[in-house]
Amino acid sequence: MLIWFLPVFLLFLMIGLPVFFGLLAAPGILLWLNGQERDITLLYRNVYNGMDSFPLMAIPFFMLAGELMNKGGITTRLVEFSQALMGHLRGGLAHVNILSSMLFAGLSGSAVADTSALGSMLIPAMEKQGYTRRFAAAVTAASSVIGPIIPPSGIMIIYAYVMGESVAALFLAGIVPGVMVGIGLMLVVRLMADKYDLPKAQRIVNPGQKMAPVEYWVSFALLRINLASLLLALAFGILSQTSLDVSGITTFVLFVVLIGMSHLLLKGLRGAVSEDFRMVCKKAVVPLQTPIIILGGILIGVFTPTEAAAVAVAYALIIGFFVLHSIKVKEVPGILNRAGITSAVVLLLVGAAMAFKTVVSLSHAPEIMADFVLSLSDNPLILLFLINLLLFIVGMFLDAGPAIIILGPILGPIFTSMGVDSIHFAIIMSVNLTIGLATPPMGLVLFVAASVSKERVETIAKAILPFLAVEIAVIFLITYIPALSMTIPRWTGFAN
Amino acid sequence: MGALLAVLAPLAFVNSQLLRIGRAIGIVAVALMVVAILIQVVFRYVFNNALPWPDEAARFCMLWMTGLMAPTAFRRGGFVAIDMLGHALPQALGKLLSLLLLIVSLLVLAIAVQIGFAEVTGFGGKFATASLYVPGNITLTEWIRVPRSWMMMSLLVGVVLLTLVNVELILRNLISLIGGNDRLPAIPDADMAGAD
Amino acid sequence: ADYTLRATANSNENDEDYDGLVVFKNFVEAASNGAIEVELFIGTQLCSNGAECLQGVAGGAIDIYISTSGGASGIFPYVQVLDLPYMMSDDRIAEHVLSGNFTRTLRNMALEDSDNTIRLMTVGNTGGWRNFANTKRRVANPADMEGLKIRTVVADLPQELVKSLGASPTPIPWPELFTSFQTGVVEGSKNGITDIMGMKFPDAGLQYVTLDGHAYMGALWWMSNERFLAMPEDMRRVVVDGFYALQQATFASPKRKSIQAYEDFVAGGGDLYVPTPEQKAAFKEAAAPVYDWFKDNVARGGEIFGALEEAVQEAETSVNGARDADLN
Ligand code: NA
Ligand code: NA
Repeated sequence: MLIWFLPVFLLFLMIGLPVFFGLLAAPGILLWLNGQERDITLLYRNVYNGMDSFPLMAIPFFMLAGELMNKGGITTRLVEFSQALMGHLRGGLAHVNILSSMLFAGLSGSAVADTSALGSMLIPAMEKQGYTRRFAAAVTAASSVIGPIIPPSGIMIIYAYVMGESVAALFLAGIVPGVMVGIGLMLVVRLMADKYDLPKAQRIVNPGQKMAPVEYWVSFALLRINLASLLLALAFGILSQTSLDVSGITTFVLFVVLIGMSHLLLKGLRGAVSEDFRMVCKKAVVPLQTPIIILGGILIGVFTPTEAAAVAVAYALIIGFFVLHSIKVKEVPGILNRAGITSAVVLLLVGAAMAFKTVVSLSHAPEIMADFVLSLSDNPLILLFLINLLLFIVGMFLDAGPAIIILGPILGPIFTSMGVDSIHFAIIMSVNLTIGLATPPMGLVLFVAASVSKERVETIAKAILPFLAVEIAVIFLITYIPALSMTIPRWTGFAN
Repeated sequence: MGALLAVLAPLAFVNSQLLRIGRAIGIVAVALMVVAILIQVVFRYVFNNALPWPDEAARFCMLWMTGLMAPTAFRRGGFVAIDMLGHALPQALGKLLSLLLLIVSLLVLAIAVQIGFAEVTGFGGKFATASLYVPGNITLTEWIRVPRSWMMMSLLVGVVLLTLVNVELILRNLISLIGGNDRLPAIPDADMAGAD
Repeated sequence: ADYTLRATANSNENDEDYDGLVVFKNFVEAASNGAIEVELFIGTQLCSNGAECLQGVAGGAIDIYISTSGGASGIFPYVQVLDLPYMMSDDRIAEHVLSGNFTRTLRNMALEDSDNTIRLMTVGNTGGWRNFANTKRRVANPADMEGLKIRTVVADLPQELVKSLGASPTPIPWPELFTSFQTGVVEGSKNGITDIMGMKFPDAGLQYVTLDGHAYMGALWWMSNERFLAMPEDMRRVVVDGFYALQQATFASPKRKSIQAYEDFVAGGGDLYVPTPEQKAAFKEAAAPVYDWFKDNVARGGEIFGALEEAVQEAETSVNGARDADLN
């Protein structure tokens, strides 16, 4: 009887009740009809309890860091950097659009932020170069789903929270799939470039740019420190194979030597590229330090992901105020306001979905579902295929966040009990539902792309199909080759 | 319609003011959250002395941020919904449908307000927070633990504000249903829906 | 069934809480001849921590719930008396104490402080004894704890204990603990061996365990008082006996489960150290400030501390008497 709340919920959703109210109204009505008034209180209580969580705090923080970073030309810097690397290829700006999304993904955890920031800049630029508007919007929408696949990621924070996984492990597991989506999309652009003779672009848009001395020295230092740290990590990797014991002093001396080496190395590279190219690269150093801080901090164990997110906010503020001078004090309340409102909506939704999940357990839906799933087949490979289909269909209608909270606890245990690694399954589910953000009829990213480009949703939805095909191929690759997602977390010891 | 407009105008004014205050406190709460977590990081790594309170204090701020800022998003149309059907129907029918949906959400909120009040004043609110203290007297010689009800109040305030907004949205819907669309007072920043 | 009891535990089906519940369900359903049905919700499906779940018990949404002392301390701070280090010397003493009037004292205090809504049914065990474990070195004396970053929950008492031993308490959420060991955010914890092995902490470098047994991990079994009193006395007797069976099961289960856990720990290269009686006495002495802290700072702390001291004395007399009698 209680199980009827699922169809009632779907009905509410289809006639347009906001997801937040649907998540509460459907189970509430069924509990009431079932004479379980005491459990309606439980429903309310779990909205509150669902939001009261430390790991969830990373959501507003990453939102805030993204907003701050997006101020004052950081998007421009990333796009110019991408263009310097890939603009000269055929279909140049389409490639640039995709690469910028991959870079932007390292600063932001949300696909919507990606679409609106990059779309408002790149769609007009692509149109000017002779691309159709719908193609430009489609590339933007298709590539912005990379945002929550490459860390940081709001969706993975939610998954980790609901399923009790480590946020860090999920973040690390998302890197390769995110890059794969990017490369896949670039391959589509490559094929289309041949067919439709897509234009090349210049590598340097604004020649003769200057850089303030503060930023010059900051990026000078950051580059050398990063390179030396990378070399140091490699050196430790080699040393750990030997029986040599490295003391703190040795490490310090080694690091200083490596900084010197990095300096010489970078000096050697100087001559190989033009002055303008160098400037564009230098201007990308400060923004791209954010993902390094987040991932590096989590990897070497300085921060939990929530703390890493707060540090990313602090970095964005320091850079914005003192290095790039891109933020004014009076702009800060507006930025806090936007990040606060956006994350309030997400948190309320997470709370409601956690309450919904309570009724899912009370109704014994997971057991019923597990029996049903296992009656279809006991071959995990076939079931994974079917589950991907199901998730894809769900993703067409439901946002990734609520879908994960509702389906994760039902589906996750079925597959982990069949021997699928819980982190691997988390990635399958997160990537699949994230791509659902760009599928018609209910793709949030499509809507944003439509409003940014002033192109109709239906038109973009048609133009995006070839890109979706590749993204679906990536879903199946990561489904059937666990190593793609598991290798990095295993290497770094964040997964078994 | 005159009567409806006469009710709507003061309600819209009150909502605008309340939500503005809510956003202002919400902004402070977001800032404090960041500060609390940064203090935690600094104390743990620089002074090697982890503090017990930043975790709970930051969650305190986050819950209040949610309760005070989500109603603004609701008013601006920022709650995610599949509105295909409403757009596909003829205009009048579409408005009737959204009126029906608003009534369903009002029911949910009305029950939530009732339960929320019972929760805050009930047993659960008596729990003490684990690490938050306030002065127990003026001379600061005595400190008492913050009761959990201060945290639980955030959602109650949130659903009360959502209810006020919901009533306003129903009035707006009714007025527009009987053809008074152009006489509705504007919702400030309605374009800035802020949904993810 | 005439009565359906909804029981929840926030652990999983590998936990001794679950063993206890299975015994309880089986006993109660059989002994009541089907008049009572017990519905189990294992995990965080209904509520996910002590405050939330006890609120559920008080409000009537949940009938039976097991909390740790930490979980209940937000409303009944004095239950932390069970976390006081080195109060009870071994399983026999602890089991004797918890089977006796001490538990009834605790029940009455909790009923008073919850307006007669929450009833303590019994106190069992979950996970054996708490020991200090770390990633750095063997801890044989209190001095070896100096400077170690030890993970604790966000609660005063465990933090005071860690501080009094010269280490630094670091609150880290349980799901992040594995990673935190690995990366050095924390260097130690105070857990039972089954939790340590269940979470695969040795893989994250937690290789040194000192069997100081500083606290008995009491499992507090709560029930809605209204629900309990609404039953006729014969059914109440069945429930009470059910909780007795449950308590016995949770006393036994960790002992059985920890055997494999200790074997696996040592097989994986772990260093298991049993402190000498002198070393244990040194630990107790170093931890002594915590007793005063508890009596001075925890509401009704002095009252419950006295009750426990008295119960321990009585248990020692009785158990030691029994031991002596069995020797010859
Ligand atoms: Na990202
Ligand atoms: Na893009």
